[in-house]
Amino acid sequence: MLNIIKSDLYRVFRGKAIYIAIAFILILASVSCFAMSPGHIGFASSSIEETDYDNEELLEKLYETDSIIETREIMKEYGSFPLDKSQLGANANLYYFFIIVVVIVLVTDLSNSTAKNTLSSAISRKKYYFSKLITCLGLGTVLILINNYGSYVINLIMNGKEFSAGILEITKLTILQLPILYAIISVLVCIGFCFRKTGTFNSITIPLIMVVQLVIMGVATLFHLDGANILNYEFQYIIGNLVANPSNTYILKTLVLAIFYIIVFNVIGYSVFRKTEIK
Amino acid sequence: MQEVVLQTVNLTKKYKDFVALDNANITIHKGDIYGLIGRNGAGKTTLMKTITTLTNKTSGTFSLFGSEEELTESKRRIGCLIESPAFFGSLTAYQNLKYYAIQKGITNDKQIDKVLKAVDLFKEKDKKFKNFSLGMKQRLGIAFAILDNPDFIILDEPINGLDPIGIKEIRDTLKRLNEEEKITILISSHILSELYLIANHFCFIDKGRIIKDLSKEELDLECSKCIIIKTKDVKKATVVLEQKLKTTNYKVIDNTEIRLYDYLENTLKVNKTLLANDIEVTGIYESGISLEDYFDSLIKDGAK
Repeated sequence: MLNIIKSDLYRVFRGKAIYIAIAFILILASVSCFAMSPGHIGFASSSIEETDYDNEELLEKLYETDSIIETREIMKEYGSFPLDKSQLGANANLYYFFIIVVVIVLVTDLSNSTAKNTLSSAISRKKYYFSKLITCLGLGTVLILINNYGSYVINLIMNGKEFSAGILEITKLTILQLPILYAIISVLVCIGFCFRKTGTFNSITIPLIMVVQLVIMGVATLFHLDGANILNYEFQYIIGNLVANPSNTYILKTLVLAIFYIIVFNVIGYSVFRKTEIK
Repeated sequence: MQEVVLQTVNLTKKYKDFVALDNANITIHKGDIYGLIGRNGAGKTTLMKTITTLTNKTSGTFSLFGSEEELTESKRRIGCLIESPAFFGSLTAYQNLKYYAIQKGITNDKQIDKVLKAVDLFKEKDKKFKNFSLGMKQRLGIAFAILDNPDFIILDEPINGLDPIGIKEIRDTLKRLNEEEKITILISSHILSELYLIANHFCFIDKGRIIKDLSKEELDLECSKCIIIKTKDVKKATVVLEQKLKTTNYKVIDNTEIRLYDYLENTLKVNKTLLANDIEVTGIYESGISLEDYFDSLIKDGAK
């Protein structure tokens, strides 16, 4: 199993994709730090951004300007806030970088039929599955760390200490977010093993994170459910809420949910892959 | 007794109602170059995919190196090229092999150079796979198959799409591997004449069923020119052949048929001699077919 992981790392670091992903993560972090505003994907976001901008006068001024430089000046004028912590709240952006990881580690291998070279002579399907999962989780972790600590360092350089939550807080929040981020990677790995074609994988996963929110909101509206409460257990919301001083109960609930997702999606992924004919 | 490398017993693979492999029984001994012949869609690739566990069998059993249980361990002793060679286009030939060498735990990089030299790709080792010609891709596939010094290699139509020189190169490479490295080879093709030049054992497959399994000597005998004598008294007829026609160059097929490989231009004399010695000849005619015709007749017989 270790050999499969080593060989995948050899291949991944000989390609350009991982370096491009890292470069984009750092560029995004730099732009967010410069604009002093973390961007997010999806239709709705968590409470973190709302709590950060609760000054009405500040909000008004921000709405009035389109210039990033002016925004930056306004933000600095109205005092300090932990920008790097806010950036961690927008870590759902990493979803797209996880897609890149799963494509280069797993889907390319299955889609190009190179997986048959490995499976026909060197390794069992079980070991293959878990090697790929571990590699995806490992590379995903590297990207998370680059993103979180990269944002922290860039923010320190660009905006100074008063806009930072400190390295200990960043480390604590990173650890809190890891389980749910691993759950997202497990979902992607499951989809990769189920569909095995790069085109199909991309067309499912790229809109998925937005579709999940749409579906939750649609279902909640249709059945008169408490949509806001349900959304609190949606991936993007969990990521955001975990950096907004959540209660211990919420942390525990999201941890259980993340473990549940990790187990369920890997069981599905492996069960499908075990019976699949390798083309 | 020769070591059995692969043995399948009633191996069957079904896709819903379609039987792709129907109770296949084959035995491959150490040192064999075992040719699997069949038309496109006959079941050759399915058989290979089943024994390499790329697809799950529906029923039956198979053993590699005498072991049914320790397949993962046994699989370490085999090298495969199933269907078209698939590698990473953006990596070079060397990098592709290095990737698989790491997987197989091969730490000596000289092994990569050795297999690249064996398939005459050493000079092209830094060329990206996506820029390879079909022949080069096939040869890289063979290099991959022999990377881990396997005891048994499985090659699915490795000469497909190659020009005559490319076919000869692959043939020579495989013969050398079999003779010098003592590697057992299972090779499939739908071109019998090509397979004839390399294999020493042949297995004909059609519609998922093994229709004939024979050695090269037996195939030669089946295809060679002869006089077929049909008689109810085979024993007496053989005595006449030996005493009156002074030949032992014949083969008794069953209790009604003898194949005579002498007197090919003189069937009349054979017939007269047999009749003169009170042998009831129910049929006598010349026979002998090309490999393609033999293949064709097997398929037609199988369809009946």
